[in-house]
Amino acid sequence: MIADRPILDHVLTLLVVIPLVGLVPLLFFMRDERAAKQVALVTTFVELLVSLVMLAQFRVGEAGFQMTDSVTWLPSLGIRYEVGVDGISVLLVVLTTLLTFISVLYSSSGVIKTRVGEFMAAFLLLEVGMVGVFLALDLFLFYVFFELMLVPMYLIIGIWGGTRRIYATLKFVLFTLAGSLLMLVAIVAVYLASGEAGSRTLSFTDLVSGHIRFSPDFQTWAFLGFALAFAIKLPMIPFHTWLPDAHVEAPTAGSIVLAGILLKAGGYGLIRFALPLFPIGAQVWLPLIVLLSVVAILYGAAVSTVQKDLKKLVAYSSVAHMGFVTLGLFVLNVQGGVGAVLQMINHGVVTGALFLFVGIQYERTHRRQIADLGGLANRWPLYTTFFGIFVLASLGLPGLSGFVGEFLVLVGTFRYDGLPISGVVWGPLAAIGVILAAVYLLWMFQRVMYGTVREAYKDLPDLSPVEVVSALPLLALTILLGVLPQPFIRIIEPSVERMIAFATSVPVAIR
Amino acid sequence: MNDLLGVLPEAIVTLTAILVLALDAVVGEERARPWLSGLTIVGLAAALASPLAYGASGQFFGGFVVVDQFTSFFRLVFVVLAGLTALVAPPYLGRERVPAAEFYATVLFSTVGAMTIALSTDLNTLFVGLELMSIPVYVLAGLQRRDRYANEASLKYFLLGAFSSAILVYGFAWLFGIAGSTSLAAISQAVGRVGPSSPAVVVALALVTTGLGFKAAVVPFHQWTPDAYDGAPTPSTAFMSVAPKAAAFAAILRVMATALGPVQLDWALVFAILAVVTMTTGNVVALVQTNVKRMLAYSSIAHTGYILAAVAALAAGTSAGAAVLFYVFAYGIMNLGAFASLMYLDLEGTRGATLDELNGLWSRHSAGALSFAIFLINLTGIPPTIGFLAKFLVIQPVLDAGFAWLAVAIALNAALAAFYYLRVVVHMFMYDPDASAPWRS
Repeated sequence: MIADRPILDHVLTLLVVIPLVGLVPLLFFMRDERAAKQVALVTTFVELLVSLVMLAQFRVGEAGFQMTDSVTWLPSLGIRYEVGVDGISVLLVVLTTLLTFISVLYSSSGVIKTRVGEFMAAFLLLEVGMVGVFLALDLFLFYVFFELMLVPMYLIIGIWGGTRRIYATLKFVLFTLAGSLLMLVAIVAVYLASGEAGSRTLSFTDLVSGHIRFSPDFQTWAFLGFALAFAIKLPMIPFHTWLPDAHVEAPTAGSIVLAGILLKAGGYGLIRFALPLFPIGAQVWLPLIVLLSVVAILYGAAVSTVQKDLKKLVAYSSVAHMGFVTLGLFVLNVQGGVGAVLQMINHGVVTGALFLFVGIQYERTHRRQIADLGGLANRWPLYTTFFGIFVLASLGLPGLSGFVGEFLVLVGTFRYDGLPISGVVWGPLAAIGVILAAVYLLWMFQRVMYGTVREAYKDLPDLSPVEVVSALPLLALTILLGVLPQPFIRIIEPSVERMIAFATSVPVAIR
Repeated sequence: MNDLLGVLPEAIVTLTAILVLALDAVVGEERARPWLSGLTIVGLAAALASPLAYGASGQFFGGFVVVDQFTSFFRLVFVVLAGLTALVAPPYLGRERVPAAEFYATVLFSTVGAMTIALSTDLNTLFVGLELMSIPVYVLAGLQRRDRYANEASLKYFLLGAFSSAILVYGFAWLFGIAGSTSLAAISQAVGRVGPSSPAVVVALALVTTGLGFKAAVVPFHQWTPDAYDGAPTPSTAFMSVAPKAAAFAAILRVMATALGPVQLDWALVFAILAVVTMTTGNVVALVQTNVKRMLAYSSIAHTGYILAAVAALAAGTSAGAAVLFYVFAYGIMNLGAFASLMYLDLEGTRGATLDELNGLWSRHSAGALSFAIFLINLTGIPPTIGFLAKFLVIQPVLDAGFAWLAVAIALNAALAAFYYLRVVVHMFMYDPDASAPWRS
């Protein structure tokens, strides 16, 4: 229970509460830009520090949930406030707090010019939802946080976005909401199937404890309900069409957390809930999802190649990269799973950084069309170095973060022996995606950075100190993940093993 | 004496209504105006508190009236809704010169009627309650006598309402014919005896469903709703979009769960189909509205559909009834809140706000825009709001009763509804204010 332990033992609850606490003074300083920025910066920084404390407390090598807090919330429904972290979520939480802090830091350097107080308030509310999604162990609580992310992001795109922001934000909300409401039906169905009235539960630990068996039919449909919500969030083809619109119109900070965190909520939901809860259902839909993943990898890469708009290019590259995540998850072996989680973290860091640099560039040139740019390397040595490293990481260069995840996913894919088509076919196809990534990313880099610089861009300044500070932690993580992935894998692996064990616990007769 | 103690809250509300009218007559309209809202709220609070002091439960008036948990819950709902209406109405009434005493008195009389429905164990009580609830609402719709839209609203509502009452009372006559009694318990026994396939039961069921469907605005009996809601003065709309609907569902629960309980299972599918048709029609038509008041009218039809879904699931046991009660209460609070926000934003000389008039409201009227947005998000059903919890509670018995397709329909409809609710938010928060918009600051 909450009361009888020192406060740092409730570090997870603290993580949920801190942004909410920060909202209180923010409401009073809504009209004072300076104060609003300071409150938001302090809040997100404290949140980042507390998440690092959590990481320090994390016992590496354990598969189960740690630092759990559990309080009865709605006793008549058997719904609990239950939070906990394992190897899969612990890194995603730290990624969330880091990217949120960077986004707030970058946004307070003068990029957001109107309604600063409201912007910061939306960001803090968004942080509650994002952190909560990765911590929640009760399906009801998870759903609450999952939807809580929706409204602030809707406002962030709709108010501070580009010219087509309203179309983009409504499309984003409606796509996501349609999926998540179907998930709500599935959650209620799980609740009803979890036992007799009075003993029903939505707690993840109870649901996978082995007492509760869902019938194959039930699993087929319930899995579909969950998978649809996550597939839209992720996004998987053919539900990806909201993503380019949302990214192009969102302000830079919005793009960073949208790509960095919100998409991860989809992948996380699959490995945490959809796969372990419905192993038989997963088997039914597995061939289709593997096919769609490989299609996403190839299609995303192909479409990225022909993009004229920088932000759209990065957005479509996200579709391809998230294809690796779903592929890794659904080949249902440990290499694939670990690779998928690493790929999520890598994508959060690297794509977040790419959106940051596209934003920085746009703030100076006010152009996002690749054809309008060129030769920037001559003027911006610092920018070029940073951007170059992130581009190389994104295309999966060994030694940088992108390589490890994709490599492990490919290894897992080759070992996949599912029917009707085994991994020996899917592996090489997915590998083509890695090559295509090099093509579109390097070609983009060449067109934007090299060549002759335009007259208008000659006097534009290189990175400012705030921008360097924003980018440095991401750079450090990119290199660390690439050179020393082992500590990260040691955190992730036991928990992935546990989830995969749940997901493959299918009676032989049905397989 | 004991009988009177049983209906003490109703008596207090009636007395309050008389006091309101008397005060107005004695001291004159303008001098009474500032006190009326307060008097109404105090009276309602006393009504709410009185069962705590002198509470009695059980049957009264020779079995015509019952006080049970169901009664207590709906009493609370109706009193709270009337109190909130009285709380938010004064600025609008003052601005539009709507006669205040008449407004509060009719709201109170209607509330007594609604409370009577919750008390009823007999068709007679039920019907008297329904009429006592409905007739003041027709008056409320037409309170602005010189406004032709209000006149249209009132007349349309009255004619269709009278028509539906006739159908309902005809249905009651059939029930009486089957049972030879107007007591709900006796009817339940008789219906159980003759069984669901008896033609008399089918006719009675169809007539009662139609009659109560009118009151609750179930498609295809909803045509009066948009005009009535749109034309009536906004405080009236706020009240009549919530209290009569809650009362109608109290009546539906009383009749369907008690009197027609034995044939409920056979009737569930009809309700399920009506629910889907109602929510889909409401949402689809709301999508194309540009007038916010009309949009809220159609959205209230959609919400009727969600509540009806829980009625269809009554076979799932107590959780279904609880879901209906919770949804009715949640809907009452959030819809009243939405209309109250609209009331504060109401334009002078125009009827209800069009979407374009709301452009950039956030920069002019932060508190109003924020509260409106919160109520709209409630109506959308996004957590952590009461609107979400209500949907969650409705989906549960619906699935439990085996209507998986109905649950999916609710989910898809809720997503559809998000579009028009959030479009209002878009106009308030994301469009630049148009300098020529005639807003008061």
